Amino acid sequence: MNTTTFTAELPRRLTRAPRRPRLVGAELLKLRKRRGLVLSALGLTVIPMIIAYTVLLILHAADAAKHGPAGGLENLSGSMEILSQLSVVAAILVGSTLGAGDLGSGVFRELVVTGRSRLALFTARVPAGLALVFAVVGTAFAVTATASTVFAGSSDVPGAGLLVSSAAWLGLVTGLALVLALGVSSALGSRGTTIGVLLGWQLIAMPLVLQIGALGSLRNGLVGAATDRLEPARLFEGAATVPMSLAAAVAVVAAWAIVPLAAGAWRTCTRDA
Amino acid sequence: MNIQAGTNVVETSGLTKRFGDRVAVDDVDLQIPRGSAFGYLGPNGAGKTTLIRMLLGLTRASAGRMQLLGRPVPAHRAAALARVGAIVEEPRFHGHLTGRENLTVIAAAREPEAHGRVDGALARVGLTQRADERVKRYSLGMRQRLGVARSLLADPELLILDEPTNGLDPAGIHEFRAMIRGFVAEGRTVLLSSHLLDEVEKICDAVAIVDHGRVVMQGSIAELAAGGEQAILIATSDEEEAVALLAEHRAVASATAAAEGIRVRLRTDVEAEAAADDIGRRLVLAGLAIRRFEPTRASLEQRFLEITSRLEEAA
Repeated sequence: MNTTTFTAELPRRLTRAPRRPRLVGAELLKLRKRRGLVLSALGLTVIPMIIAYTVLLILHAADAAKHGPAGGLENLSGSMEILSQLSVVAAILVGSTLGAGDLGSGVFRELVVTGRSRLALFTARVPAGLALVFAVVGTAFAVTATASTVFAGSSDVPGAGLLVSSAAWLGLVTGLALVLALGVSSALGSRGTTIGVLLGWQLIAMPLVLQIGALGSLRNGLVGAATDRLEPARLFEGAATVPMSLAAAVAVVAAWAIVPLAAGAWRTCTRDA
Repeated sequence: MNIQAGTNVVETSGLTKRFGDRVAVDDVDLQIPRGSAFGYLGPNGAGKTTLIRMLLGLTRASAGRMQLLGRPVPAHRAAALARVGAIVEEPRFHGHLTGRENLTVIAAAREPEAHGRVDGALARVGLTQRADERVKRYSLGMRQRLGVARSLLADPELLILDEPTNGLDPAGIHEFRAMIRGFVAEGRTVLLSSHLLDEVEKICDAVAIVDHGRVVMQGSIAELAAGGEQAILIATSDEEEAVALLAEHRAVASATAAAEGIRVRLRTDVEAEAAADDIGRRLVLAGLAIRRFEPTRASLEQRFLEITSRLEEAA
């Protein structure tokens, strides 16, 4: 820094920013520049799918009589089950970072002093997070769908309708996990706590509770029961763990999206920065 | 920048912040004139940062009213803060982003034109060459400069700088002072919070002295210093005789011989200029040769110590 630079004028002719949601773009910039996070998300979704189908291809090539084709409907079903679980984990990582990243770095204060509404600051995180998660999970799904179709061989080939509904369901499960993590981490203000609590809930506690038949219709309120009800029937054979109507499932999904977001937005608007 | 003439840029009335039973900011009435460098001076823990945090909407006031750039806050906070740049405590950034990207993130939260100010702001603080490095590699001084650049994205009428020279080396502090005076020369107003008397005295035109959350004195630097001790430094041909003569003068509170001469403290209830004239006349009439006759003013530091020690005695 020297004195001459201090006296330089700010540019008089100002260039306008590109016409796009600038806050969303800024949130996405913050996310995609976190190399560790992006690599973790890819490592949880795209890489396992590539490895799984590569192994299936090798096994089939080595002993076609013992190991069926790498693709086909059956393998799609298996890989989607794994991918949905791993995508939820990736979404929780991204959502937790998104919700608590500004607070953790101290930049939330700097954003608040711009005068921009705190609600706008919070709202911009949702599309940014979805954009990153959908890009990563979408890539993983593309790998899965392509492999299950191209390498189907003599097996049943998944139809376009099934692939579309599978993609939509995967997007729903992943998006829900993201907004849940975003809302909770914004409310708690802690990335680590949010990841611990949500992974424990999604991967251990909720599946256990869903299996407790004595709870009856109380289980209908669990997001896992609702997403089970909405999954493509041809992909996951057998009845859902907890029987419920389509309308009830949609309502439960909506509640699990809205309540955490509302809690996160409220805390963002009221906390000392 | 379009600077509006007249009015105060900051006005508070009865502004108070309590944390439980503890009062951090106590009934503060503050007026900061436009186009000045204004020091908010007080010891650590006096409530300086809390006041700034209330002005910026980072925390809510417990009582009182405040206006920024003529707009009441928090009611019109967004409009008021659109032309305010601020550094609160240590400037914070996303360490995984570059300096330029950090500014881009903040520009996105401001008016569309802010995006076009990023390069100019970086150039102004001398960070153009390092703008594309990750901030986690920046030194503290570079982060301070980037913090200033970030506050310039608002093209601010008011800059609020909370302890801005913390962590800077002497050269950095010198340059920082020049930068702040440059902002004032452009017509911007700077509110500088500091516990460093020397810093405030060298940078600011006016000052409010705060202690235990209360503003105990407010005015221009000259006014505040003039309100303190009045003294004259005198050197004569016979110091012993001069001291004896001065001790009898009704306007003199004390006369003490020192290495540079006799330090004469005047009584606070006399008119200093007339007293000095009379003292000079009497020394000459007594046949003493006067080698030095220098009315001195108390520095802001002396004045600050007088005020705060008086408060401590009263407590």
